[in-house]
Amino acid sequence: MKQMRKSTLEELGLGTVLDVFRNGKLPVDAERAVTAVFGPPEDRGCMVISGANGVVGAGKLMQFAARLSSYGVPMVALDLAGSPDGIGKQLTGLRKAFGADQAAEIAKNIIQLNYDGKSLPSALKIYKPKFLLEAIPEKLELKRAHYALFRREYPDLHIWSVTSGFPSEQLGVDIAHPAFPHEINKIFEIVEKEPGPASALLWALGLIPVEVSDHWSFVLDVFFCGLMQASIRASSMKNMPYWKTDKYIRKLVGPNPFRAHDAIGARGANFLTWSCLHHLHLQYGPLFEPVPELVERKDSGQNWYPPDHFRPLVNYSISEQEQSELEDVVYGSLFQMTTIMLHERRASLSAMNAIGELCAQFTRGMLANLRSRGATAVLQTIARYHALHPEAAQTSWYPEELNRMSEVEWQQLYVNAEHDGVAGVIHISRESYNSDVDAELNRAMDWLLSQGIRRTILCADFHLSTQMVGADTSEFFPALTERAQGIRIAASWSATARRLHSDFDCTVGFISGKRCMGGMLELMMHCHYLFAADSVVLSMPEVTLPVVPGMEGCHWPFRKADEAGRLQLARMLLTGRPVKATQALGWLIDRTGPLETLLSDAWKLVNGDASISQRRHFEDAALPPIQFDAIDGLDSGDAQLEQAREAVRNTIRAACGAGLTEALHMQAEHSADFMVSALCHKGVVGAAWSKIASI
Amino acid sequence: MREVQTIFPEARIPYGTWGCSYFPAWQTSPLAEVNIGQFAGEAMARILALRKVQLQKLDYLVIGSTVPWHYKFWNATVVSMCAGRRIPGFHVEQACATGLQAILLAAAQVSSGASESVGVLTFDRTSDSPVGVFPERRSYRRTEVISDVWDNFGFDPATGKAMLQSAGNIARKYGLSKQEVDELTACRYEQYFKGRSSGFIQRCAVPLEILNAQGKPMGVIDEDKGVKPISLQSLRSMRELDSCVTSGTQTHAADGMATLVVASREGAKALSARPEIDIRFVAKVEVRAGASCMPEAPALAVGQLLKNTGLSLSDIAVVKDHNPFAVNDAVFAKTFQYDWRKMNNNGCPLVWGHPQGPTLTRVVMEALEEAVDLGGGYVLVFGCAAGDVGIAALFKVDG
Repeated sequence: MKQMRKSTLEELGLGTVLDVFRNGKLPVDAERAVTAVFGPPEDRGCMVISGANGVVGAGKLMQFAARLSSYGVPMVALDLAGSPDGIGKQLTGLRKAFGADQAAEIAKNIIQLNYDGKSLPSALKIYKPKFLLEAIPEKLELKRAHYALFRREYPDLHIWSVTSGFPSEQLGVDIAHPAFPHEINKIFEIVEKEPGPASALLWALGLIPVEVSDHWSFVLDVFFCGLMQASIRASSMKNMPYWKTDKYIRKLVGPNPFRAHDAIGARGANFLTWSCLHHLHLQYGPLFEPVPELVERKDSGQNWYPPDHFRPLVNYSISEQEQSELEDVVYGSLFQMTTIMLHERRASLSAMNAIGELCAQFTRGMLANLRSRGATAVLQTIARYHALHPEAAQTSWYPEELNRMSEVEWQQLYVNAEHDGVAGVIHISRESYNSDVDAELNRAMDWLLSQGIRRTILCADFHLSTQMVGADTSEFFPALTERAQGIRIAASWSATARRLHSDFDCTVGFISGKRCMGGMLELMMHCHYLFAADSVVLSMPEVTLPVVPGMEGCHWPFRKADEAGRLQLARMLLTGRPVKATQALGWLIDRTGPLETLLSDAWKLVNGDASISQRRHFEDAALPPIQFDAIDGLDSGDAQLEQAREAVRNTIRAACGAGLTEALHMQAEHSADFMVSALCHKGVVGAAWSKIASI
Repeated sequence: MREVQTIFPEARIPYGTWGCSYFPAWQTSPLAEVNIGQFAGEAMARILALRKVQLQKLDYLVIGSTVPWHYKFWNATVVSMCAGRRIPGFHVEQACATGLQAILLAAAQVSSGASESVGVLTFDRTSDSPVGVFPERRSYRRTEVISDVWDNFGFDPATGKAMLQSAGNIARKYGLSKQEVDELTACRYEQYFKGRSSGFIQRCAVPLEILNAQGKPMGVIDEDKGVKPISLQSLRSMRELDSCVTSGTQTHAADGMATLVVASREGAKALSARPEIDIRFVAKVEVRAGASCMPEAPALAVGQLLKNTGLSLSDIAVVKDHNPFAVNDAVFAKTFQYDWRKMNNNGCPLVWGHPQGPTLTRVVMEALEEAVDLGGGYVLVFGCAAGDVGIAALFKVDG
């Protein structure tokens, strides 16, 4: 088997994505993974979460409880007697997510025990502890004593710490460092010598473990605490209030670091950020030294945003020159920090990049950002940053890491390809489609073709991407004011998608996550066959945003459907409502079924077994007019929705009424025209743009 | 030119580290409805950023205001918090002398070695001033209610007279003619609009966008709103409210803020974009005139100051004052046989308004800017304050 780069799934010891198809099954199922950690059903042990009333402990308690309750794994919530109730606060969210009945079932499986910190409650024995997730305060000696306490009574207990900074080597246990918000964020940075059964368990439960190296702090924390530190510096440099700095940081990088600290709880979050930077400073040098403003807030626990009675009065806008200086401070320090993490090989580049997006809310992963700028520009940014903060230059960093950008691991952060000499798999690890994914997808297709592979599956990566949510709408912002940008985006992305149809003999779009929507669905439908597991939900929600689909959703699937199917497609586009994969069989989906059957079928098909599915005829010529009148139930009473529907109808009419060659440009032009319209500006994308881009 | 000793020898005003909001006339702008202390703090952060002064460089804050504002009890600490920097400081209040007194106290703070760089921040909102309810057992009504701005304008408890009456008194005492006072006023307006069209005013005043409670823009304060050109003919036609006092020959209530920095010698060099310019504090005098004679108090103070320093007005490069009444300038000119056309170039409070606290701070920064344009020299700033007080200070600009 050949691959462009190692997949992140392999780093968990779970094999390649191609193996998943070749074996016709997932690498590990949840029941087996639960048994491996907690023992067989007849002798099943419990999971203990210590420090269970803390923000992390309570969040993780709910996350694991929701996933393990159906396997009969008791969840023991252990904390010091008299700890403020953090668990009770979580129940509202649990009910919201699962409904009252299921939430009650989950809660029934949580056993709350108190202890004194020196000895364990005897009642714990009843539940046979197998796995401890330690979430007690960040004091090394306290943590070590805690592990010793458990090991005395339960020598075989598997222990993970959720520490926010200590290396595994110092703690003496493995680490699962979770990302905020702890109730819902699925990412864990795992520090372990070899991928073990606990990591496999997380993966099998639908969580996202990511293997990282054993260093001070974690990838997410270096990014996020580093960003916070840089944001404070930028704020001080410009006397800019934190709330306004947040807006510029959101525009530049993605997250609102100050708002995030306040939302988490300033007292705790300020301490954790300070603690992370303080230890990094001791380890690495002044680049990380906590700024006085952070020390002050760490000590006081004060929020970064002003109190309600001092809601901001004076707006604060900075010139382009000032924005450029702000960018130097923020990116200069983040880039320098990133070279250190690259040098230390803290994680695979793909994972490191994804952590920034999935946990730190970076609009674009840090490595994708570096790559798009190029080494020279990155070095210039760091040099300008050092001119503003000369002490940072005293911290060792590794510019030579940037010279490796042309290597495939750098070039394929989001899209990977593998093949066995006959058939290939292209897998995407980003949930939304953007220009980076577009470029990488083209390179992946080029690579397969260069290897003589003309049959491939296109799918998500079974790890970092658990669903396909459509186009990254932040990419549309330039198109809101410039029609040519809209045409460029739609036409170039469509051209990429068309290669799946024209450059290969057989392509199978394989959808296995929770949902596939919008631009991602448009991409997948360009494959010769579209398979979706029966649990998948599909939708084209563009009309509700509103935007007009740009990647040929308004004519491509119509060319493969019969008249009734075309009406279903039109209904899907005009309502924006989701459709189950099983309901879309025949007019959008070619095959559906249980995941493992479908994996096997897709592999057989791509390996030449034509009996699996018949390829639907694809009509290159103009299609007969769509009978929109035959679609009922569209009256909404919402004038704006009606206008958006009319724009989508017009696009369908024009693109379906044209031949295949003209249709691409026709759809791109309709999409671009709509993007600059007042209606689009009033909608979700326009609102996000005015909130983020036009400060 | 004589060289004289300086007061506060260690203190300097770093050139260019100053700025103010425009002073919109009362009730004409969004400033009429804000917490002016908060506004001043936030505006200071913005203005000093434009001047490339990081708030981190300041270690103390002297604030000045005269009209009570919400949270005033917390004085400089809460205002500095609004600016984004937690530093200590205090509040100073001396009616319309506040803006100058705050600068001088900041210089004392630096010169004493207690601070390295002190922010001066003066502000006031005359629009919708608070109304105080005072239990007064000895008063006829036992409880007195005072609207802070207007009731104080109208009644000096020490004399029982209105401020406006003091201007009439002095006009009569000095035998001023309405014709001259009107001409002087017309000249002041010409000077202001000349300063505006040349861009001089914009060197000190900074446009500021105000946000509503939802964070949406509610207007930009980008002019001294309410100030319109006025002709001599129109001034002549105005009815006298007292001798030589018409609505045209007196200032108007306004809202606004002003800020500057006072630092040590070395600190000033580090903070200023033009470190070669040295601005020192030379002298200061305060006097109190007779009852209800406020407009002559500044001239008395200047006379004392010149006597103390041994200088004459011919030694002074820039003369600028706080002149709520045109009568002030006419008396000054008559006292020193000085051509009133030579003073108050580019504007003065008579024209751009009277927000009390920040008024003399703006006068100082405009006077210093003018001196720098002239290549340096002595700068005389003076004005009157409630209670028949006159204050005068002398600065020296070199470089």
